[in-house]
Amino acid sequence: MTSVYQSKFYTLYQSNTDRYFYIDFGQKVVKLSFCQLLALRQKVNSIAIETHFDADLNKHGFELLMLCNKEHLFLLNTLEILDLKNLVCYGFALLGISSENAKAVY
Amino acid sequence: MKDIARQQMSIKVSSMDLLNNQIKLEAHASATYLAMASWCDQNAYTNSAEFFYAQSAEERDHMMKIFKFIADSGGIAISPTVENINHDFSNLEEVFENALDHEIMVTKSIHKILATARNDQDYVVENFLQWFVQEQLEEEKSLRNILDLFELMGRDGIALKLIDERITRGE
Repeated sequence: MTSVYQSKFYTLYQSNTDRYFYIDFGQKVVKLSFCQLLALRQKVNSIAIETHFDADLNKHGFELLMLCNKEHLFLLNTLEILDLKNLVCYGFALLGISSENAKAVY
Repeated sequence: MKDIARQQMSIKVSSMDLLNNQIKLEAHASATYLAMASWCDQNAYTNSAEFFYAQSAEERDHMMKIFKFIADSGGIAISPTVENINHDFSNLEEVFENALDHEIMVTKSIHKILATARNDQDYVVENFLQWFVQEQLEEEKSLRNILDLFELMGRDGIALKLIDERITRGE
């Protein structure tokens, strides 16, 4: 596997043998097709991080994240969500399908 | 390393995000025109009501065109939620003015996506949006022509009825 991008808590890999991506979440490695990776991006980007700083909107500062057609369930805290947003942003830039400049990542 | 992402998707994810946002705008426009059609129906402006029913259907067609484009490009099209639809208007002219403002907002959004796509060298999206640029020009022109009728014919009771009679689908 080739490492695409490593954030503080997570690492995005692309397989050299099949057409899959892998994310190492620390406690487990999740296999994702490109569509599932896109769905992950959509879910992560739609999390309003501001709500984590407002006790009325998100009392405990956690997010439930279901991935790969409900195959995986994650409970992530504010720092982990911020890190996952970072992984998604730079990961897609390095995959060359985002307008983010990949050269600016490193 | 194989370029799996590019093999799976023909457009940039940044364009996909903006197009999904455009889907929301088109859905909002469709629902807004439906509210306008309802108001016109309630106030006996039959032709204007028909005009807005047709406009509503047209905006939904635009939404579906973008929706299918995203799906065909390998992206994820997001089904929109529509909120905050205004149902209150003071008079017929205000209805058409609001409709024109809505069209201008949609036009600006299309231009913004086009500019971003051009900047990102996302030529597929740029080419796709050319149809919308022309379409928006026609939408704005049609509403501007209707608003001109108020200047020409006045705003009293009989004038409004005559204006309504002159409004046809595709005016």
